[in-house]
Amino acid sequence: MRALALVRNEAVARPWVWSLLAAVATWLAIVGVSGRGVGGTLTVAISIAPYLVIVGIGQMFVITLGNGNIDLSVPYNMSLAAFVSTEVIAGGHRSIALGFLVALACGLAIALANIIGITILLIPPIVATLATGLLAESATTVRASSLNVDVAQSLQNFTTANVGGITYLAFICIGLAVVAAVVLYRTTYGRAVRAIGQSLRAADFAGVRVTRTIMVTYILCAELAALSGVLLGAYVSPSLGIGDPYLLDSIAVVVLGGSLIAGGRSNVPGVWASSVFLILLGTFLNVVHISVAYQNVVKGALIIAVLALVGTGKESR
Amino acid sequence: MAETELAQRAVAGVGTGLREIRWRRQVGEALPLAALVGLTAWCVVLQPAVWSVSGLTLLFQPAIPLVFAAVSQMFVIMVGDIDLGTGFFVGLVNAVTARYLTSDWLFVVGLLVAMIVGYGLAGALVQLRKIPSIIVTLGASFIWLGFGLVVLPIPGGTSPNWLLSLMNWQPSQFPAPLLFCLVIALCVYLITFRLSFGAAFRGAGSNPDALVRYGWSMLLIRMVCYALAGVFGILAGFALTGITASGDPNASANYTLLAIAAVILGGGEFAGGRAVPFGAVIGALSMSLVGTLLSLQNVPSSYQAGAQGLVLILVLAGRAITRRLEA
Repeated sequence: MRALALVRNEAVARPWVWSLLAAVATWLAIVGVSGRGVGGTLTVAISIAPYLVIVGIGQMFVITLGNGNIDLSVPYNMSLAAFVSTEVIAGGHRSIALGFLVALACGLAIALANIIGITILLIPPIVATLATGLLAESATTVRASSLNVDVAQSLQNFTTANVGGITYLAFICIGLAVVAAVVLYRTTYGRAVRAIGQSLRAADFAGVRVTRTIMVTYILCAELAALSGVLLGAYVSPSLGIGDPYLLDSIAVVVLGGSLIAGGRSNVPGVWASSVFLILLGTFLNVVHISVAYQNVVKGALIIAVLALVGTGKESR
Repeated sequence: MAETELAQRAVAGVGTGLREIRWRRQVGEALPLAALVGLTAWCVVLQPAVWSVSGLTLLFQPAIPLVFAAVSQMFVIMVGDIDLGTGFFVGLVNAVTARYLTSDWLFVVGLLVAMIVGYGLAGALVQLRKIPSIIVTLGASFIWLGFGLVVLPIPGGTSPNWLLSLMNWQPSQFPAPLLFCLVIALCVYLITFRLSFGAAFRGAGSNPDALVRYGWSMLLIRMVCYALAGVFGILAGFALTGITASGDPNASANYTLLAIAAVILGGGEFAGGRAVPFGAVIGALSMSLVGTLLSLQNVPSSYQAGAQGLVLILVLAGRAITRRLEA
């Protein structure tokens, strides 16, 4: 019993260790099954991870708010950002910064729609963000039908530029994770986010500006999603539904990374570890010739299974 | 003497209170009906041929799968949860029936039973591990989609003749789809309002603690409600196969949101505790008409998703405003 409790405490204290172990196990499995290079498999995964890490960190902030907060508009936001940025930059005829700005402005608009739905109309976040997502999806379809330019070469080069196989973007993204951790644990805003997730009423009584914190968090999440969308669009060229996998994946990396789905406790390194794990898992399933159809099943079942095993931290209260 | 008077007054007071609640409820249920009548009238104005038995049949026939999906969603919303898997679940049933129903119906029955059990287990998971229903049903939705794509990687298949003729039944005296809707609503009404279990369903959403103290098991109630959601999701899939005569796991993806919108439009509450059999059916018919109206108005299909999202936001905004006025 005592040993069991010890293992349990350790897992609670450092939940991201599990996703790291899972990532390593999957990595070894890939190498074992396919005979691929040991280093290559890992550097590729780390280089693809940033798109998921960026949006995952945003989702993590929202989920940390607890009280049913979640942002389901993220995938549509990313698709829209990929298309508008490509269109604005026009293959390098206009400045890349302008492309980023327009995409971020679209993200802000999505965030504002979410905020109005959640804080003023008091719609549950799931429904409000899903409805906003549909609006963004329509906007994307409209923009996509008239897109006739390629991604700017310089931006595409940036997403693949690397040192020793690991992209600069991955290094920048590690920096981003550090900043996110500092914001979450060392700033008033971060403390407010976690306090709201632990108990909204207590946070309110303690003088936390609840509404303002929620607003800032949704804006933060939407902007990170837009940023990730621009980069993803530059990396693989925009296509309809480019952001779709990130609906489940952005939530998965938060949950697998050891953040509580009920809010109040979050884990930044876990987002990185579980992003790499999810990507390696996809690679593994490809290597053993499991179709995309079954990959959906595996991912869906994985999230449910992990939550069923780990729980949400609310049962004991 | 004084005591009797007091008691009488108290009873009278309760009476007026109940009357007021009932009146409010009736108004609440009349609103979606008014919306449906208004939308139908709009369709008739745009396309006068709609105003005939065959016209109304064609107008409401495509709504039948959504009506079932809305009822499915209602059972989950009733216990205070949300089902993000409705759309892909209907798609999976659509794919399974289109591919196997004509050749191997026993296999289909086995699969469907397994799917209902799966839904019940999802409910158990939500109850036992206190995992938010959205995460469980979102995860489940990818399982449904995945299996749907395994069954039918590309759209195809066919529908058995009995299902085709049932869904395309066109009596000359009345529009058959509206009869179907009435039957569905009455069945759901019987389940939720005439069975003792139904009262427990509704109570589960509004006051689970009281229900548990009264001796009901929340685990059982949640599992049964989720299983019922599975049953009606399956009926939605059958209806879709009968109407389209083919299968496509992705075709009904937008049913999730449309069904949620239908339930809320019909008077359902996200907090749970309200069963709205007639409201959900009417709401589903209205949401389907919104789509028809958009195409009658020549709105490009790329705007349809956005329009649906907008309608949902408007419905909820209207709800928030009326609630504030009441308070």
